[in-house]
Amino acid sequence: MSQVQARFFTENKKYLIDDVPFSIPAASEVTDLSGVINKLLEAKNDGHKHVEFDFLVQGQFLRTSLASRMETENISTEEVVEIEYVEKFTAPQPEECVMHDDWISSVEADSEWILTGSYDKTARIWSMEGKAVMTVAGHTDVVKDVAWVKRDGLSSLLLTASLDQTIMLWEWNSERNKVKARHCCRGHAGSVDTVAVDPTRTKFCSGSWDKMLKIWSTPLMTFSGHNEAVSSVLWMDAEELCSASWDHTIRLWDAETGGQKNTITGSKVFNCISYSPLCRRLASGSTDRHVRLWDPRSKDGSLVLLSLTSHNGWVTAVRWSPSHEHQLVSGSLDNVVKLWDTRSCKAPLYDLAAHEDKVMCVDWTENGLILSGGADNKLYTYRYSACVLDAGA
Amino acid sequence: MRPTHSGTMSKLKNKKRNLEENEDEQLPIFDKDGGKDGHLDDGDEDQGDLSDSEESVFSGLEESGSDSDDEEEEEEDGSEEKSSDVEEDKAADGDGDDQLSAKEVIEPQTDGQHSKEKKKKKKAAGKEGGEESVASDRDSGLQISSQVDEYEHDTSDEEDIRNTVGNIPMEWYKDYPHIGYDLEGKKIFKPIRNKDELDEFLDKMENPDYWRTVQDKMTGADIRLSDEQVDLVHRLQQGKFGDVNFNEYEPAIDFFSNEVMIHPVTNRPQDKRSFIPSLIEKEKVGKLVHAIKMGWIKPHRPKETTPQYYDLWAKEDPNSILGRHKMHIPAPKMKLPGHEESYNPPPEYLMSEEERLAWEQQDPEYRKLSFLPQKLACLRAVPAYSRFIHERFERCLDLYLCPRQRKMRVNVNPEDLIPKLPKPKDLQPFPTTQSLVYRGHSSLVRSISISPSGQWLVSGSDDCTVRFWEVSTARCLKTVEVGGAVKGVAWNPNLSICLVAVSYDDTVVLLNPGLGDRLVCTATDQLISSYEEPEEVKDQPVQWAVAEGEGHEQGHRLILKHPKAVRQVTWHGKGDYLACVIPDNGSSLQVVIHQVSKRRTQNPFRKNKGLVQCVSFHPIRPYFFVATQRYVRVYNLIKQELTKKLMANCKWISSMAIHPGGDNVICGSYDCRLAWFDLDLSTKPYKVLRQHKKALRSVAYHRHYPLFVSGSDDGNVIVCHGMVYNDLLQNPLIVPVKVLKGHTITHDLGVLDVTFHPTQPWVFSSGADGTVRLFT
Repeated sequence: MSQVQARFFTENKKYLIDDVPFSIPAASEVTDLSGVINKLLEAKNDGHKHVEFDFLVQGQFLRTSLASRMETENISTEEVVEIEYVEKFTAPQPEECVMHDDWISSVEADSEWILTGSYDKTARIWSMEGKAVMTVAGHTDVVKDVAWVKRDGLSSLLLTASLDQTIMLWEWNSERNKVKARHCCRGHAGSVDTVAVDPTRTKFCSGSWDKMLKIWSTPLMTFSGHNEAVSSVLWMDAEELCSASWDHTIRLWDAETGGQKNTITGSKVFNCISYSPLCRRLASGSTDRHVRLWDPRSKDGSLVLLSLTSHNGWVTAVRWSPSHEHQLVSGSLDNVVKLWDTRSCKAPLYDLAAHEDKVMCVDWTENGLILSGGADNKLYTYRYSACVLDAGA
Repeated sequence: MRPTHSGTMSKLKNKKRNLEENEDEQLPIFDKDGGKDGHLDDGDEDQGDLSDSEESVFSGLEESGSDSDDEEEEEEDGSEEKSSDVEEDKAADGDGDDQLSAKEVIEPQTDGQHSKEKKKKKKAAGKEGGEESVASDRDSGLQISSQVDEYEHDTSDEEDIRNTVGNIPMEWYKDYPHIGYDLEGKKIFKPIRNKDELDEFLDKMENPDYWRTVQDKMTGADIRLSDEQVDLVHRLQQGKFGDVNFNEYEPAIDFFSNEVMIHPVTNRPQDKRSFIPSLIEKEKVGKLVHAIKMGWIKPHRPKETTPQYYDLWAKEDPNSILGRHKMHIPAPKMKLPGHEESYNPPPEYLMSEEERLAWEQQDPEYRKLSFLPQKLACLRAVPAYSRFIHERFERCLDLYLCPRQRKMRVNVNPEDLIPKLPKPKDLQPFPTTQSLVYRGHSSLVRSISISPSGQWLVSGSDDCTVRFWEVSTARCLKTVEVGGAVKGVAWNPNLSICLVAVSYDDTVVLLNPGLGDRLVCTATDQLISSYEEPEEVKDQPVQWAVAEGEGHEQGHRLILKHPKAVRQVTWHGKGDYLACVIPDNGSSLQVVIHQVSKRRTQNPFRKNKGLVQCVSFHPIRPYFFVATQRYVRVYNLIKQELTKKLMANCKWISSMAIHPGGDNVICGSYDCRLAWFDLDLSTKPYKVLRQHKKALRSVAYHRHYPLFVSGSDDGNVIVCHGMVYNDLLQNPLIVPVKVLKGHTITHDLGVLDVTFHPTQPWVFSSGADGTVRLFT
């Protein structure tokens, strides 16, 4: 087997080439194919600069030679192979490294500010450049989770959940740089491990070690159903709530009525979940090495759509890209943050091995910033440009 | 047999009215008949034959014969009585048979008489009724008497041998002096019966037997009745039974008695229905008839004429190898003759002189050859084989004594002998990989314990600190310093109490770590501070003290001072009682049980046998387990008695754990063994596992999963699947599933303590390397 008939296509208008089949060597790999496309583009328009491409065969990234790929996919060499090419995602560029006094338990960034929760019982606000702006102190124990609620001009509302069984709502004025505790939400009988603000930004939900979920609005709603500690909670939309627990289940709740809508049963403790409205998938990190993707609408609650396996420790944090339907980032106890593309499930796109200790939290902002914090007291930020380009594509 | 014959004869007679011709014709036939029968019987029969056939044949001819001759002859013989009768018989017989018995003589007469009687009746002429009755009586009487041998001469041919005319009306011969003819054709004359009245009278007067003399109408002879016959006549006249022996007054047998009988005979009149044809039967028969008509039933099925035999080999598979064929052992083969046996063997086969001598001196049993090879000039010179009989006999012995037993070799696949163990994969979940390492201690961690919620872990180390960890992140949240190397820590299992017992040196400290629910923590503090001293203070072996100052800040709540070093602390499931082990051989105070709420200490045992290693409360029942070096004693705390003594079958027990169900106990020992007990089954271990290379330090059961774990000095933690089934017939399944490595061996010590997470299938182990590790 030497030559294969292949037809290349792309959705990016900038790199469009003629829709004719080419005969290419079967042993060619990504770099060879990329060279072929570049040659074609150079022939087409003179001002073309060399661009690295990635290739998708049947919706999966090509990582080995074309021949071996076709063999594993059972594609006949007689036919014309349809190969999609996209501009190669450039590696995330490390930007800042922000030192904390203690382990970073949680991080959330909006367009301007980064909010981190730490084991030193405080939450901190940082600028995008890594400058410490504000320290939010008030909890008597470890801050386990933080969240931005909303911003009205210069004043922002933020939430911190702590091991001391309380959630605090703070108002922070960025101009005067003053922080004021608006509310202290008491009610959980265990450490509050997770907090999530609903899309309307009017209420929030918290999950605790006492197995309860609470929606903090008027009236206060309590959801019981989990048999073990709730580790992660999120809003799928304004009415639907999703929670992951140590009892090996992910449960979907109706936020209005409090009823359970669906249960996804895994085999391991769930540490974290993330939901992408773009691809409508749930990603979960468990106390094993896998990131699993679930369909929350599926009736068969224990069917794993995809397992992303590359980590060597518990997956402690997982976050979908807010702008790209295929990409997500995960952090693990093996000190590595990995950037995944679901079209390439065997291996991650990039390993971000900056941390020296356990990664506790990751976040991904809408303007293409990936953040990760860990037990080495460092918060790393990465600029990931591909998503912006891809989003435009 | 006769009618056809006689019929033809009569036709002949009618055609030819010639006597001579007739006789000529007749005689050969008679001869033939006579000859035929004569072989079988006497001449009597011949005579009978004649009489029978003659009667019909000659009936017409006799009329033509002369009467006078007959008359004369009749007169001649008439005077003679019975004797003449006999003579006449003789004459008729021809050969003069004297031996004829009186009975035989009478018999023909009676027959003749009989026929005569019939004739008389037909005629109904005016004859004497008396005589007639007498004659008939005699007839019947004779018949009865002749009953004895009725069938001795049972043939119709012999009836009335003197009356050759047969059964014809006698008046036909009334005017003749004779009746019939004998074989020679001579007339048989009637007895002379021309007596007149005078003769009759004279006879009556003179003859004393006159009254008993009757005339035989058949032959016309006078017959003197015998005494029996006369007697018979008399009896009949009197209206008695003819048979003398007949008893007319036999005792009546009551067949239908009123007595209850087993098989009663009833004289109940038969039912009416027994005379009416049954409707049911009719219906049944009708059905059968219908079925036969329709061809459903074959009424006359051809009977199986061939005999039925059981086919012994019907079910035998002709292709299968029969047992006797399969087991066939061929007879040992004889050795074929070689060159030595040859009459002219090659010279190398011939024996030299020394060889021959050696052969001769050898015991015949050990000789290689049983003969001496010989060289002969030609085959003709070969002498007779002297050993022939001997050799045949040996051959027979060989065949007879040949071992005919087949040695059955057992073909066992060695892999089949290995017990079938399930794959560890099927027994999941169980911890497989190391997930978290809890670093912080600077010296060996002797003891760990986990909070009942599973969120926190406490570890006590030789660096005189107790550390509290967050399980999910391995974050040390709290470090509490104590005044000595910590030997044991135990988290209170009660969810509503937040207390940790820590033992170091001779002290047990109850700590409130302040972790978990704040309400629980404060409630625990309140519980401890709300204690009021009782009025009368008992003398206790242990001093209770409330921690104050800096200790209280750190979380110390109660301090219990023991007389000697405390090695182990363990809580009762309810969380109020705390048992401590103070190992001291021979001391009476090795185990103490504290009640925290009342701050009371009791010494449950007056005397302890051996060195107590560890103690444990039964999770459900009021039992208390005390492990000494070799035994585990189970005490009932309520009854205060020893209920069981488990023989661990090892030298030195190091640790013990009780299944949360309470039925199983595992013991780890310093001689590398782990003994698994079923308390219901036996006091000996059901299974002993020797998986570890070095001494076991700690064992633990999981609360929910069928898992138990053991930590050893070799640095390994071995997880075993221990499933006990509700079905009592099914053996418990105990399979080691995983060896967890991770701890580095420091100072020859590996894993010092193991414990399971309360809800997840996770195991924690603490080691001499100062780390606590979580395996998931």
